Amino acid sequence: MANKPQLLAIVALFAALAVVPLFVTDSYIRHLFIIAFVYAVIASNWNLSLGHCGVFNFGHLTFFGIGVYTAAIASKTFGINPWIAMLLGGGTAAMSALLLAAPVARLKGIYVVLVTFAFTQLVLQLVLSQSQITGGAEGMVRLPFLELGSYSFLKDFKFGYYYVGLVLLAFSCLFLAFVSNSSFGKSLKAVRDAEDYAAARGISVARQRILALTLSAIFTGIAGGFYAIYLRVASPEVFGFGTLSLALSMVLIGGVNTVFGPVLAALVLTFATEAMAGLQGFEDARFIVIAVAMILVLRLAPEGLVDLLGRLRLPASKART
Amino acid sequence: MEALLATLVSGLVLGSLYALMSSGLSVVWTTLGVFNFSHGALMMVGAFVAWTVSEVLGLGPVVGILSGTLAAGLVGIVIERLLVRPFYSNRNMLLITAMTTLAAMVILERGAQMIWGARLKQLPHLVPGEVRILGTTISAHEALLIVLAPLILVALWRFTVTTNRGRSLRAVGQNQDSAALLGIDVPVAFALAFGISAALAGLTGALLGSIRFVTPTMGSEPLTKAMIVVIFGGLGNLGATAGAAYLIGFIEAFLILGLGLYWTPFVLFLLMILVLLFRPNGVFGGK
Repeated sequence: MANKPQLLAIVALFAALAVVPLFVTDSYIRHLFIIAFVYAVIASNWNLSLGHCGVFNFGHLTFFGIGVYTAAIASKTFGINPWIAMLLGGGTAAMSALLLAAPVARLKGIYVVLVTFAFTQLVLQLVLSQSQITGGAEGMVRLPFLELGSYSFLKDFKFGYYYVGLVLLAFSCLFLAFVSNSSFGKSLKAVRDAEDYAAARGISVARQRILALTLSAIFTGIAGGFYAIYLRVASPEVFGFGTLSLALSMVLIGGVNTVFGPVLAALVLTFATEAMAGLQGFEDARFIVIAVAMILVLRLAPEGLVDLLGRLRLPASKART
Repeated sequence: MEALLATLVSGLVLGSLYALMSSGLSVVWTTLGVFNFSHGALMMVGAFVAWTVSEVLGLGPVVGILSGTLAAGLVGIVIERLLVRPFYSNRNMLLITAMTTLAAMVILERGAQMIWGARLKQLPHLVPGEVRILGTTISAHEALLIVLAPLILVALWRFTVTTNRGRSLRAVGQNQDSAALLGIDVPVAFALAFGISAALAGLTGALLGSIRFVTPTMGSEPLTKAMIVVIFGGLGNLGATAGAAYLIGFIEAFLILGLGLYWTPFVLFLLMILVLLFRPNGVFGGK
């Protein structure tokens, strides 16, 4: 999927992101970038199961939430080094995805949506009910922060956290590009576009679905761990509809068939929603604006805005011949 | 013994609530093949409109509940027109409408937050006083819910079986093209199904608004339970859905008795996974 100009654009984007903190010293703007990186990881990994494999997975934010709580409990309750606690989030998220995938792989259509959606509710209920472990509805606060040697990441206006977030996003993108270009990634698309034919060619549909779900949870869980350690808070809000619809709109607006569409959409939408949050009376309305944007994209550009941009150039080149 | 009877009665109340919720989902599913994620939010719209008409305008709970039902029905028709109809011919219609109705849920919930604010509200009981059933005392309002739910379900069932309009809904659900050839106006049938389902949600919300608090997110918990119900019962058949609703109501009531409030949703979900592993089309699901 990644042709040469695309690849160049991606490298340029990451190079630009890498020098941003040298020019942007404002800690709030850096914070927005960090949050955008987290959402970019969530949205682009969600795309692996939803877009590439065609699994109607509505429970992707559960993997994120499990990462959040794993890192919080590991670092605060058990005193594990927060670096390791973050990575543990990826492990538990992948395990939960495997657990969820077992029944989901056998189901079809709307039942996949229902089960994955209800799975989020189940984990939320578990978090709320086990308040002596998870802090219940109040969540957990004052989590340990990152340190490297004697350098505390709380210093220098989030300088360190910015790069941790960017490196996380870069690794996640490399991972996704590798997966989607591998023969496994191609077989996922085969399962999505022609299930019967794929099965006839010897692809195990159930196994591919289980793998896709599990793989999509790894970096999502690590991103959850990073989110918890960075904000030093774990709250049940991550399972809410707000986070879900925001991440879903990033996948849809970015385009379900690409790796980098959702990444771009995450960057743009995070700043757009934050800009709207600053406007008087837009605290709730911004979610309505995003929901409307999502509907419009589904209506007018079902392949996503990135695809639309690509198509705009196409008629021009055709006109020449 | 007394605890057992009390549990039975509370299961009956829950079952009635779930039956009203999930039958609405089932009507839309069988006719349009759409799972409406905004069903819980429509319930909330019914409750807020009922509260406004009954308490703010002072017209009383009966007028309030009727207007709540009507308002939810109208919002449902608008949702069908704007968010569902444009995608009928789409290959991924099922997934896209799940997303657009999810977006509708966000719009309705945030919109309600902006209009009515976060302060907790509650509707008065439709009928005052208390009733004793099986040696257990419940409010007359809950007793009304127990009586009303089966009546509404039977009315809905009779409507789809005996009236021409109702039959046209089933015809459209089975085969759109031949229904159109028979002279059935398919878009009207779709709008009707969505309107009935939404009105049912609004009525449920208006009734629930006297038992629980009216908040912008009051619909999400019943919607989740309705999802568990339709997974148990399958979505295709009104009778199976209603049966599953009462079954889940009783199971939930007994789980609360035995395990407490906290573990109950967890165990319900585990049961659901087991059901799906062995009967992917639901306990009562046929095909």
